Amino acid sequence: MSPRHSLYILLILLFAACGGKLEEQQSDNQPVDTIPMMVMRIQKCSKLYTSEYLLHKIVTYGDSASINGTFLHRNFKVNLPFGKRRVAIPITASVKAYIDFGNFSEKNVRRHGDKVEIILPDPGITMTSTQVDHEAIKKKVPMLRSNFTDEEITHIQQQGRQEMINSIAKLGIVENARLSATRQLIPIIEQMGYKEDNVTITFRKKYSIDDLSSIIKTID
Amino acid sequence: MKNILHFIINLLRSIYKLLKTRIGFVISFFVIVVVCLIWLFRGCSSKVQTEGRIEITPVQISKIQSIGQWEFLAISDEELIDTIRHGFFGDDELARIYYGTLRLGIDLNETEEGWIKMDKDTVVAKLPPIKLLDEHFIDEALTKAFYEKGKWSEEEKATLTLRASETMKARCLTLTNIRSAEQNASLQFNNLLRSMGFKFSRIRFANTSTHK
Repeated sequence: MSPRHSLYILLILLFAACGGKLEEQQSDNQPVDTIPMMVMRIQKCSKLYTSEYLLHKIVTYGDSASINGTFLHRNFKVNLPFGKRRVAIPITASVKAYIDFGNFSEKNVRRHGDKVEIILPDPGITMTSTQVDHEAIKKKVPMLRSNFTDEEITHIQQQGRQEMINSIAKLGIVENARLSATRQLIPIIEQMGYKEDNVTITFRKKYSIDDLSSIIKTID
Repeated sequence: MKNILHFIINLLRSIYKLLKTRIGFVISFFVIVVVCLIWLFRGCSSKVQTEGRIEITPVQISKIQSIGQWEFLAISDEELIDTIRHGFFGDDELARIYYGTLRLGIDLNETEEGWIKMDKDTVVAKLPPIKLLDEHFIDEALTKAFYEKGKWSEEEKATLTLRASETMKARCLTLTNIRSAEQNASLQFNNLLRSMGFKFSRIRFANTSTHK
């Protein structure tokens, strides 16, 4: 193998390496469809909503701009003056507690003569809607910064919504749901011919904080 | 192994020969200068970065109320709603994806006096008409931004939300879905009454057809 041939082989190998990298970059730029299909999902159910909570939260967000970089391989970071943007978004969420009667059967009813005991299925909690108070949104954007985009605003709203879901467990909704369920069901059972004193409504078990995460359901 | 060693020796020889010539020296000098400049420029970069975070604020309960809404059909819907504003220098566009769940059922607070009564050996239940249980069914905080060009005010976004609500109602509050909810309500109430020990039951809806 002559020196010239060796040089050619080296050049070919270098080109091949560069070409491979270019192809790899092109494959990274493939479009990705992130938009879900528009769907309508219909579900038959039997849920008795017994109590409703209206939750209110002001989601606040702030960000600051800085110039980050390197100069002669040394890192630097300079905070820009007048670079802090802030936004406050008031959100109201409706959270409802329900009893799912979808699997209600004879196993849930115990009769002892005139007396009847109803063991209710596990309660559930769901966030049925959220509303953004558009009129009350406050933004503070300095002259040097661009305004909040719709994508940024919706992203902040989504994070605020998630925080509201996380806080549901601390609100004591389940206990209130039990009382409300009793208030709603006893008049119905009375109309069926039972006396109020002869009706007992119980739940399957008491719930701890750990159980609540499985009870809470969202729209998703 | 021998071939590789031979290849490297040949390569070094050819580079040495190239450097010995004047033109080779000049080329290699330029190559070294260019490499040094690239290294220096690569060591200089800057970009504007933003650092943001959601601040912790409390969740407050603004209202608690007892309700008696019995849901028999839940329709989850997604709608892509867009708007366009024509301008002299071009059009502005805004498109968002809205999510919502429309719940159809009966409101127990609308029941008439004696809505459940015994007729000999049969329980007769007259249920209130099936309706949309809650006018607020859009999960607005879950909305996704799809496309935005131009500057859009919050009032315009609120109008878009209103349009999403109307579109979802038009798509989901159909007679077929209301009938489906009624059928399921009859089925579920029959099942409930049977579980309570009543063998025969008759379910009717106020202002609507009868189901047995």
